[in-house]
Amino acid sequence: MMQRVFMTKHPYYLNLLQIRLPIGGWVSILHRASGALLSVLVPVLLYGLMLSLASPEGFARVRGFLAGGPGWLIGLLVSWALLHHFLAGLRHLGFDFGWGEDRRRARQTAWLVLSLALALTALIALGSL
Amino acid sequence: MPHVAGAHRGLDIWLIQRASALVLAIGLPAFLLYAASQPVLDYAAWRSLFVPLPAKVGGLLCILAVLVHAWIGLREIFIDYVHHLGLRVLLYFAFGVLYLGCLIWAVDILWGVQ
Repeated sequence: MMQRVFMTKHPYYLNLLQIRLPIGGWVSILHRASGALLSVLVPVLLYGLMLSLASPEGFARVRGFLAGGPGWLIGLLVSWALLHHFLAGLRHLGFDFGWGEDRRRARQTAWLVLSLALALTALIALGSL
Repeated sequence: MPHVAGAHRGLDIWLIQRASALVLAIGLPAFLLYAASQPVLDYAAWRSLFVPLPAKVGGLLCILAVLVHAWIGLREIFIDYVHHLGLRVLLYFAFGVLYLGCLIWAVDILWGVQ
């Protein structure tokens, strides 16, 4: 009988397209994805910092790149990644100190992180139009 | 999968990840406030932000925290998704060299502003 229970359809392989992630799971995988994106972009961001400080022309180039077109979208994506990673990281530091670990509070802060990062990104988008 | 590190390293790495996160949790908002103190953020004002020595030291500390944090974070990702040990170590090494280069580059960028 026990054997039959274990043999029922049971997603032991965590295929992200098949399982339904709880909200904390979404915040977690986006924390990882945003961290990976930012890690790979470190040299690009340093290049932007170098250009912006080197000369007025370089500063204008960085400004112009971020002002419109694909550069604007890339800037927003990086802003969202930084905001989400930052806020999700604060939530994790909270867990480390034992704050917000119960399920109800953890779900509330997960929603808060997800929506606050998106809302602040939307504000940046509106402010840079 | 053979072990390539001593058993004590996990806790060190866990702590360094939190310490670098804490530096950035303070440093990034502090920099935003510092930048917001300029009435207009044109080239001259942007450049002047990086002239004082405390700004250079604080900026380099934050960049160091980013590099260490990113290197450890990528290590977690490589451990989860790159199962070929040689490739995993090679990636970890490559990003280590890249980030060390970035650190030296960051010194040049920051101390180039006089």
